[in-house]
Amino acid sequence: MNKGLIGCLGIGAIILFVVLVGGCAVAGSYNRLVGLQQKVDQSWAQVQNVYQRRADLIPNLVNTVQGAANFEKSTLTEVTNARASVGRVQIDPNHAPVDAAKLQEFQQAQGQLSSALSRLLVVSERYPELRATQNFQNLQAQLEGTENRISVERGNFNSAVQEYNTAVRTFPTNLFAGMFGFQPRPFFEAQAGAEKPPTVNFNFGSPAPAATAAPTP
Amino acid sequence: MEITLKLAQLDPSLRAGLAVLFRITKKRARLYLGILALFASAIVARAAETIPPKPDRYFNDYAGVVSPVAAQRFNEQLAQFERETSNQIVVAVWRTMPSQSSIEDFTQRTFQAWQVGQKGRNNGVVFFVFVDDHRMRIQPGYGLEGALPDITCNEIIRDGVAPRFRANDFEGGLSAGIDLIFKAIRGEYNGSGKTARESGSSQNNPAGLLIFFFVLVIILLAMRASRRLGGYRYTGGGGPFVSGNWGSGGGWSSGGGGFSGFSGGGGSSGGGGASGSW
Repeated sequence: MNKGLIGCLGIGAIILFVVLVGGCAVAGSYNRLVGLQQKVDQSWAQVQNVYQRRADLIPNLVNTVQGAANFEKSTLTEVTNARASVGRVQIDPNHAPVDAAKLQEFQQAQGQLSSALSRLLVVSERYPELRATQNFQNLQAQLEGTENRISVERGNFNSAVQEYNTAVRTFPTNLFAGMFGFQPRPFFEAQAGAEKPPTVNFNFGSPAPAATAAPTP
Repeated sequence: MEITLKLAQLDPSLRAGLAVLFRITKKRARLYLGILALFASAIVARAAETIPPKPDRYFNDYAGVVSPVAAQRFNEQLAQFERETSNQIVVAVWRTMPSQSSIEDFTQRTFQAWQVGQKGRNNGVVFFVFVDDHRMRIQPGYGLEGALPDITCNEIIRDGVAPRFRANDFEGGLSAGIDLIFKAIRGEYNGSGKTARESGSSQNNPAGLLIFFFVLVIILLAMRASRRLGGYRYTGGGGPFVSGNWGSGGGWSSGGGGFSGFSGGGGSSGGGGASGSW
């Protein structure tokens, strides 16, 4: 009788211990997930910042280039259009996108602006008097710096997302990550053609490619 | 208990976990091994990247283009600047870029590894020069992007440094570059009168050393106890841990006749700045 009671107590203690340890482990993982998610959101805000910085440079760039004697109109139109379509793809700057398609759309619009800008810089080679101006040189330095910032922040965002996704998907955490609403997040994929240098197309007669259809916010 | 059982029926990964616990099938074992190998190779690939180790000075002329006297002078100038303003400026001159990557990518990763700038302020600047490549880059940390915007970096490189480098006057070019950076960022932050190393920042905190010693003592005691219990005779003249060098680990602190040492404060950079060539 006495032995049985001690045995029961022992088993009870073990169960209590397991529950306590399990609870602590779940709480720890939960807190870790919250931290990782915040890091993802934070680095997304940085990504938005640097893209915004680039978008803000464009009016000035367009004005400067327009001043140059008979600058290629089509190249300029392309930049302006791409800038406009970037403005139409709005994602909350404080929360990283959950929907992969949304990020894809964002990335596509920004990619179009990138290629339009690099084409503009290539075309500007043919206007030495434009390139000699202080204003253009400054704008070029800013554009280059901003492009580099974009790649840095995209890299930071991707590594934050990867860390978060790994935590969400790996074994003990994945059991309850879904219950608490932690979903894996999409990240930037290397864009097809992003690693290639831009091709120079000297046929400027064709109209600029239409901006991708974007839902109005 | 019931909930976990239900979960086991629902969640495939839990089943996978249980399968690991209760002897896995051979096929699965191979899969896990494959994943492990993949991770291992990823780690090796990262380790193979060449990021130069943290410098212990502000002015690092790995290419030997300025005289030792001038190098010493620059180093003291930069250390003094940190004392006055808390901004950390590091100059690194190489013959060629020690990486196959682009200059922006290399300098970004190096900046992050060196942690130039104070932790909360991110007020570091690194001036990279690659002599044989005829390339250079000025890269500020997040906290100095306002005082040292891309345009200013570009102007410093284009008008201040490049003309002198073109005339093979490296000392003059570096001096001009340093002075112009000083001019741009002075006043942005206030210094404490000490460098990060002199004020003994988090880089080599005594708590870590204490814990290390504590663990060491426990290990040694455990080893001795186990030896005694196992009946082995202890003959060796000192285990691998005996040398007492750790005490002098914080060695470089304030310049006792030597140079002012640099130690990164934990700053980081977002890839701003400008590159240029000559």
